[in-house]
Formats: sequence, structure tokens, C-alpha cells
Amino acid sequence: MLPKFLYHAPETIHEALELLNKYGREAKLLAGGTDLVVDLRERKTRPKAVIDIKRIKELNVLKYEPGRGLVIGATVTYHQILEYEPVRKKYPVLWEAVKTVADEILRMRATLVGNICTASPAADTAPALLVYDAVVETASKNGGRKIPIENFFTGVKKTVLEEGEMVVSVTLPEPPADAKGTYLKAMRVWSEDLALVGVAALVADGGKDVRLAYASVAPTPVRARKAEKVFREDGDIREKIEKAVELAVASVSPISDVRASKEYRLHLVKTFTRNALNRLLGVEAVVVA
Amino acid sequence: MLRSIKVVLNGVERTVDVEDHWTLLWLLREKLKLKGTKHGCDRGDCGICTVLVNNTPVKSCLVLAPEVNGAEILTIEGLAKEGSLAPIQKSFIEHSALQCGICTAAFVLTGHWLLQQGDGVDRKRVAEAIDGILCRCTGYRQIIEAIVDAARKK
Repeated sequence: MLPKFLYHAPETIHEALELLNKYGREAKLLAGGTDLVVDLRERKTRPKAVIDIKRIKELNVLKYEPGRGLVIGATVTYHQILEYEPVRKKYPVLWEAVKTVADEILRMRATLVGNICTASPAADTAPALLVYDAVVETASKNGGRKIPIENFFTGVKKTVLEEGEMVVSVTLPEPPADAKGTYLKAMRVWSEDLALVGVAALVADGGKDVRLAYASVAPTPVRARKAEKVFREDGDIREKIEKAVELAVASVSPISDVRASKEYRLHLVKTFTRNALNRLLGVEAVVVA
Repeated sequence: MLRSIKVVLNGVERTVDVEDHWTLLWLLREKLKLKGTKHGCDRGDCGICTVLVNNTPVKSCLVLAPEVNGAEILTIEGLAKEGSLAPIQKSFIEHSALQCGICTAAFVLTGHWLLQQGDGVDRKRVAEAIDGILCRCTGYRQIIEAIVDAARKK
């Protein structure tokens, strides 16, 4: 049984904001519910009101326009994202990350915006959004904000969202023309597990524009900007990759928990970063005995 | 809060009173006494509470009862028509695709959904679609075969 609350299903963003204003911190927004309903049951949250935003039609926009990028509305499910051809073609890192989340039945329900609003350090879509320089668009009674994804997470399950503010959509700008990328994720079992480590890598501009982002290795998803800078300079590509691997390790701060030890996570950061960069930069891996 | 919702449940239009904080699973089992839908982990991991909402598989422990206002719901009780089993049910029997039975309704309904998704229902597709439902008895082989075979005979 869930604890008692009032259920609201507004049909416009305006109505949703009215309700958010009325209840303040005592309201929780409901999209797919795959995080919220579990938290309600475990009494991790005790809201007075649950505001279901799935009946707000304008929040289900999923649209790519060349040059302008990809807009993902607040109620767009993972399944919708996987089925939308421009995502697979233009944003492969996001497509690969979404494909690793939970299972097909949950992906028909769970949403990307819900994932980032839960703000788990293990949020699978966050590293992909980080390497694509995504921008979170919000609405509130005082007007909306555009928040770069890198500034969105502030701690474990914490974001910059204020009372009365809701995420409307996430926009991913047009990626560089020659961008290639991948998402590598370690899990104990395939499906139904959180990432032990998630690594998003994107390479563009003939190998000079390299972007690296990580999940499950710090209080928030993080981008390894120091490691990325290495590729702006000239030099031997293998040496640059090794230098980037070391800087990537220095930019994360994993903990030991029931799923993996700190040492194992650091090891995964190293090998995943190296493997991703070798592949994307066309370097043959050196076999070390 | 108690409210009235309208659903088409197993083909029959119904008005039901639900509390805001009930889950769909609770509504089906405890209020409507449809015990074919099973209660498992209560957190979306095991998948045995799966039913079809608007012809899409959904883990009913993660859905609030008021959310399904206006929806069509199909549970295992609604699959057989006029006393004759649906093709997917017959296939599960032919392939002995169950042992203890607690996950069976979820697999049968997900299989039923897959059969309506058009062609290409092969082992790989079935394995992907049933990824979110756990069975601790069969090792999944018979379940996959039952669904693939039903798709072949369609």
C-alpha cells in the first residue's frame, strides 16, 4: 500500500504550475512513475499531492530539426526515443545509453526527463546529455530558465530546480558534423541493474573535439573537461589517450557500495575510457599481457 | 480521495471508485478480485504484475489507479473468448511453458501483445520483449518457444 496523497492530472502547463505553486515542496510531479511510485512505497517521499503530467499534450514533443537540434519533452518515454530515427542517426551516444536502461516494458513507461529529475548519480542518460551539451528548459510562475546540463545536478538526488519550477524539455544542440560516439556501461546483470560505471565518449573535429562524461563515479554525473583538453594539443595520439585516461581517473571520486568497490570502479573508468577512445580515434589497442 | 474512473476492463465498460493512492495492481486484485494478476516485488523489477493498458504491457505495481481513467485494460481473465483459449494460451500449454505459474499471466499477456506487433517475432525479439519479467522455474526456453511458435502459426 502507498501512503495517502491527492492525485491531480492537469491538462496544461499553466494548470500544473498553479498546482505546484499551491502545494510547494509538498507536491511531486509524476511522469513514468518508475522512480516515484517506488519512493512513495518505501516512504522516501511523503507528498501531499502527486501531479501527473502525462495528460499535458505539449510535454510529449519529440522533434529533431537539422541545425536546431533535438527537443525531448518531459513526458517522452525511452521507448519513444529509441524508435525515433534521428536519435539513432544523430545522437548515437544517447541511443546506446537509453537502450541499456532497465527493460523494454519499463522503457515504454519511464521518461528521460524523469531520469534527470531523479538525479541519481547513476542516471544513464546524463553522461550522454553531458557530451551533447544539452540544455534543460524549465517553466515556473516567474518565467522559465535554460540550464546547461552541466549545472543541473548539485548532489546525490539534488538538482538546481526551485520550488514551483518544472522541467518542460531537454534540448540537444546539433552535434558536430563528424561526431562519433559511444556509451559503455558495466552492470552486474544485464537489465534491471544500475550502472557500476557508465562512460559516454564523443569524438569530433578530426579528433580534436573529444568529450567524456561519467555516471556512478561521483555524487553527480560528471564531465571530465581536463581529460578532454589533452586532444586540443599536438602530439602522439597514443600518449594523448594515456594522458586523458589518467586525467579522467583524477576527475572522478567513486565510493564503494553494495554494487562495486571504489577500486573496481576506478579500474573500469580507466579501461572503458581507453577502449572508447581507442575505438573512436581509430587506434589499434595494444594487447598487454 | 475517492473518485470514479471509467475503464474498459477485459472488454467491458465499467465505472469504478478508486482511492488516489491505490496502484492499478491493488485495484485489480483487492477491489475487483481479479487474482490472475500476481503481486511480486512491488518495485517494477520482477514484472509478474504485467497487464496490458491501451494494448501496451505495463507493470501494474508502478501505475496509480487514477492514471488509468479512460484506458482499456486487459488482464489474463479477459484473454479467452467465449470459453475458448487465445492462440497464445494454447501455445503455452503445448510447449509446457510454465511450472509454478506465478509469472505465467505476465508472459502470456506480453506474448499476446507481441503477436499483434506484426512480423519478425523471432527468438531474439521475444527475448528482448520479455527481458523485464522473471521466471525462476523454466529457464525461459519453453516460454520463448511458445511465443515464437504462436507467431509462426498466426
